[in-house]
Amino acid sequence: MEFDCPEIAASAIPGQFVMLGLGLDAAGAWLLPRPFSVGWVGPAGTTGFLVRVFGPGTRALTRLALGERALVLGPLGRPFELEPDRPIECVAGGVGLAPFIFLAAVERAAGRDVRLLYGERDVDAVFDLELLRELTGVEPELYTEDGSAGRPGRVTTGLDPDSEASLLACGPTPMLAALARFAREHDRDLQVSVEEHMGCGIGTCQGCVVRSSDGRWVKACIEGPVFRAEDLDWGGDD
Amino acid sequence: MTELATAPGALRQTVFGVEFESPVLLASGTCGYGQEYADLIPLDEIGGLVTKAVSVEPRVGNAPHRVAETPGGMINAIGLENVGLDVFRAEKLPWLDAHLDRAHVFVNVVGRTEEEYATVVAGLDEDAGFLGYEINVSCPNVKDGTMFGTDEAALAALVRRLRAATERPLVVKLTPNVADVGVYARICEDEGADGLSAINTFPGMVIDIERREPLIGNRSGGVSGPAILPMGVYATWRARQSCGLPILGIGGIRTGDDAIQYILAGACLVQIGTASFVDPDAAVDVNDGIARYLERHEVARLSDLVGTLVPGPTV
Repeated sequence: MEFDCPEIAASAIPGQFVMLGLGLDAAGAWLLPRPFSVGWVGPAGTTGFLVRVFGPGTRALTRLALGERALVLGPLGRPFELEPDRPIECVAGGVGLAPFIFLAAVERAAGRDVRLLYGERDVDAVFDLELLRELTGVEPELYTEDGSAGRPGRVTTGLDPDSEASLLACGPTPMLAALARFAREHDRDLQVSVEEHMGCGIGTCQGCVVRSSDGRWVKACIEGPVFRAEDLDWGGDD
Repeated sequence: MTELATAPGALRQTVFGVEFESPVLLASGTCGYGQEYADLIPLDEIGGLVTKAVSVEPRVGNAPHRVAETPGGMINAIGLENVGLDVFRAEKLPWLDAHLDRAHVFVNVVGRTEEEYATVVAGLDEDAGFLGYEINVSCPNVKDGTMFGTDEAALAALVRRLRAATERPLVVKLTPNVADVGVYARICEDEGADGLSAINTFPGMVIDIERREPLIGNRSGGVSGPAILPMGVYATWRARQSCGLPILGIGGIRTGDDAIQYILAGACLVQIGTASFVDPDAAVDVNDGIARYLERHEVARLSDLVGTLVPGPTV
């Protein structure tokens, strides 16, 4: 979905997000805004978001007709931090693709070497690859768990342990946890963009916490959503 | 930022000995310590705010998920995560003191024991940057969080003790989780409280049916939002029937018309909570909506409207 919000298009940095909702005027509905990574910015001040229907909130958003208004608060949160000139490998699971569309486009245009690994459950869930190429200028490497499109298996199987690239990831928590293990085992630096139920997006409700490696609850909205993997507690064998 | 449409003066009231430019405050737990909203809304053009709860020691809060949307509202179980008394005094209060002029600040105070409440009040009482206290005896999301709010003797003893500890306005935030809010309102008045906030969230639960587990990390949480508007209005009305204290009406307000219900039921001030998450401008919009109601009904001053509910036939 694309919205006309030039201030956000002009100031957003890849990895940042917005709170997207219908506001208080939505007749009868009570829909808290939901966090969405900035997916792409258009030349005319538009900002795009990947909206996949999970429940009533996302369904209501996707039912907005052309020209209807939504409430967009942002850009919010800490973006990805990249070292100059170092190649990047972006690992996207499902709608975790969103921040990497933006990031890949910006970094590819700046001449950086960008790999984009994109995993989905099956072919029906796959984002329009032609559009993805057009938006990013990068050839995506697609994986599906059932093998119905791209290469079969998990997206994480496409990683080279010895790569010198910075590893960046966004997707379901089990995927991020697997990547955190991979990064630790192979001494790769990894930044992850996490998701948690979010109330406000600006640090006031304290709803969206994740566990840090030193045992604190850290807010995904203002301390994240991008964290260094080693700064978070991934459970299990840590 | 949104310009206020209100004609100056109509919404002004004197409550707790000071002038409130607007009857609308931001509710505790939904506006942080004020700073978070400073770039989003003109805080000095609403009545003020109630801070996140402050306890003696910092609290880390509950495991996620902490929030979820529910039909007509949301559920939360943050667990009173807060910076604690010392950091609040060192970092949060000075900001409020330096940046707010007309907006009034209440510090929401929480404790596990009478002693802890008293320690927070004693620790803050000489500081600048706030008007008074909102005593939280009604948090449903921590162990024993509602103990004071649901035990008549414990509530009386707590209010008595805090009354002796401060001359600042002392507001008690009541829990709806009792048979009759009016009984607890009366206790607060008898023990010397200056005002009441009615009402805190309702205990609730959401179950993830795929995992067959509670969705919320704390298992249960507090339900807020439009779903509880009628219960909050009723609690306000019961409190008004039972005592003469000023009431801060809270629960499910998202429009000026919602706020007017509270005001007719007896609240002179209102608090905006969950609605601010949906639209950070909500408090300003509510303020403007109240002003439009006054114009539409040719009410000269908001104070003329407070508690003017016309009793219907009871048969």
